[in-house]
Amino acid sequence: MRRVLVALFVMGLSISTYAEAKSTEAAIRGTKGRYGDAGCGLGSMAFGDQQGAIQILAATTNGTFGNQTFGITTGTSNCSGLSGAQATRLFIEVNREALAKDISRGSGETIGTLTWLNGCTDSNSVGATLQKNFSAIFPSESVSTDAVTEAVIKTLKDEKMLACQNLG
Amino acid sequence: MTRLAALLLGAALASTAAAAEPAPPPYLSELLAAARARHLADALAWRRLVHYRAKLLGGVEAAADGPGFYLAPGGKTDPAAELEATLTGFFAPAAPAAPPAPATPPARQHPQCQFPARLAWLSGELGIDRSRLPAPACPRLDEFRARVQARSVTLVFSSYYLNNPASAFGHTFLRLNKTAAPEAAKHFQLLDFGVDYAATVDTGNVLLYAVKGLTGLFHGNWNHYPYFYKVREYADYESRDLWEYDLALTPAETELLVAHLWELGSTWFDYYYLTENCSQGVLGALEAAAPRLELLRHLGLIVLPADTVKALFENPGLVRAVHFRPSIRTQFLARAGALSSRERGALRALIGSPAAPTPGLAPPEEARALDAALDWVDFVHAKELLDARVTPAADVKQRLMARRSTVPVQSQELVIPLAASQQPQLGHGSLRMGVAGGASSRAGPLAVYDFRLALHDLADPPTGYPALAQIEFLPVRVRYEPRHDALHLERALVVDVFSLSDFSRFDPHVTWRAGFGADTIRDAGCPGCLAGVAQLGGGLAQSFLGDAVTAYALTDAELAAAPDLRGLDGRAARLALGPSAGLRLRAGERASLLGEAGWRYLPWAAPRSTFDLRLTGRLHLRRTSLWLEIARRPIETEALLGVSLFL
Repeated sequence: MRRVLVALFVMGLSISTYAEAKSTEAAIRGTKGRYGDAGCGLGSMAFGDQQGAIQILAATTNGTFGNQTFGITTGTSNCSGLSGAQATRLFIEVNREALAKDISRGSGETIGTLTWLNGCTDSNSVGATLQKNFSAIFPSESVSTDAVTEAVIKTLKDEKMLACQNLG
Repeated sequence: MTRLAALLLGAALASTAAAAEPAPPPYLSELLAAARARHLADALAWRRLVHYRAKLLGGVEAAADGPGFYLAPGGKTDPAAELEATLTGFFAPAAPAAPPAPATPPARQHPQCQFPARLAWLSGELGIDRSRLPAPACPRLDEFRARVQARSVTLVFSSYYLNNPASAFGHTFLRLNKTAAPEAAKHFQLLDFGVDYAATVDTGNVLLYAVKGLTGLFHGNWNHYPYFYKVREYADYESRDLWEYDLALTPAETELLVAHLWELGSTWFDYYYLTENCSQGVLGALEAAAPRLELLRHLGLIVLPADTVKALFENPGLVRAVHFRPSIRTQFLARAGALSSRERGALRALIGSPAAPTPGLAPPEEARALDAALDWVDFVHAKELLDARVTPAADVKQRLMARRSTVPVQSQELVIPLAASQQPQLGHGSLRMGVAGGASSRAGPLAVYDFRLALHDLADPPTGYPALAQIEFLPVRVRYEPRHDALHLERALVVDVFSLSDFSRFDPHVTWRAGFGADTIRDAGCPGCLAGVAQLGGGLAQSFLGDAVTAYALTDAELAAAPDLRGLDGRAARLALGPSAGLRLRAGERASLLGEAGWRYLPWAAPRSTFDLRLTGRLHLRRTSLWLEIARRPIETEALLGVSLFL
């Protein structure tokens, strides 16, 4: 009896909301544009043929689709480590929306993380530099994530004062 | 004939092979004897490492269901055999060095590579001289360790999210921090690794999804991912606040936890949404790494993620610090709340148009207004912005950001004080039971027994729960009428959800509710009948003075069915449609008053309409509430005075 009640409970709660989640997922899946399929990042992670930002709704909350993408023993993605240019690429890909906002503000957590990832000296200067170059990095809302990544790396490299040592 | 020869040859080869099997190395025999003498298989730490649990009818059974987690054939139910097989396994010859193949099944690793926590624990207990063991290369394990670089551990609780059924109760997972003091390095937290236990959903069919989740047909797997995935998913996309509990584990315990998570990663478990779920998994892993902790013991019949957090606090000193990572909604509300009235005017204008002029604002003021406007776009259009298509919201955001970047002011870090009253671990127990006495105009004196399995309603003590959300699972009421010596089941809803949203231009979310189960009809259509009911409603709500006063208005649709009901053209079911309005008053943490009035039109049924008026007042004293309830319906008016206990 308890099991039946419990089953009814979850079914009832699921039906209205699940349908919506599925349609959002379908809208995201397989589309290209602002979220690209850059090298080692989202597109190439084992979400089968699903690409794009659906990755953020990863298989980690109960109830979203997935197939052990982030398993422990089986290894994660093609980007095994989290350092260097590949890490910057993956980071920008997933954090694009938050990063864009932080760059326009000249500060924020994603800028602090980029500073650390690229071995730059000071996140305040990194923030100010990126803010000044916002329009070069995000010239439009449809610019590809690849282009965003290249522009961020170029900006950090060009400003010698930042001394971002991981960028060579 | 040839067949016989082949058989004989085979047998001969087999016996040769058996004879050639080397005797166990003397060191292994020595270790096995020591383990037996010390009854290591009975040790609590061993029981926890293999996740043995006592069975109802005696004996033990381990939780893992995937192959490869047990080295002994009967290891799932035999701790001693598993321990000896584990020790024996450590002596397996190390395979010749080969490049790591990600496609290799996890179970095919050398036992020393697959069970690093068992190896560490047994080494400590038996004083194993590792130089006398084979030394296999464990490249994948080494890589995992190098990737997570865990120096401390944080348990993360993502707060309730009513719009996804699987997360309505919240979710818990672990964060492995690269720094010993995670709070001192906030910027790098994004690059820490989150590790969680979750169902791997393999169906898009909603019915299968529900049934499989409840009956353990999904596999539960351990996963890891950079923490930024979780932050983007929860804080930005779903607007769920994250509560982070830094744990006081020793360096050795932290190391053992990482090793044990690796062990768990190589197998899978049957996943049950309500019992063997994320919380159960996370606490079990912590207990295995630190046998001094008592965590699972503090969980109830149904495991809710908030109970996980409470179980942490049952171990004094375990939680070193609590941090709060605000969702995008919380960030927006904080930014908007800190604006001056001129800046607020600018915010309104900017939300209307990203190009709106903001004359007279100094750059820092303009920056603050733009910052709030940006958070607003992210919060209100989270789903759209995540979509790869270019949408109007993405365009608005782009224009706001471009404008913001030209204001040469770097934003200050947004500091949101930790609201003590919202901390999940301080919330009331989710199970509630109560008794009440009173009278009804129709039935005379009454006694009522009230029970609720979980979790929270709008008149419960507010601490630790979302201010405007109700989610009740299995609220049940039984009513006794002494005059008729009659005992009735009055109400047994399976679920009852009410999600209020303070509607404003800044937060244009609607209020909705849904519920179904059984309830008693109290009008002439079927006086006193227990009917199956389903309800769905939508409308608007408005809060004043913080959350002290909340008013709402809804349009509801209800379906009721009972054998004796005079419903649609005389059928046993009827539809009800109509408006409801309600008001909730709260006096701090101590008292709440909830009133609701509803009128229903009953098409093609007799009678043609019905109504329901209710007023509930509650006084909260620690773990109990005193309450008064007055209800008026077409056939009767009743009043009850009761007391409830939260467990």
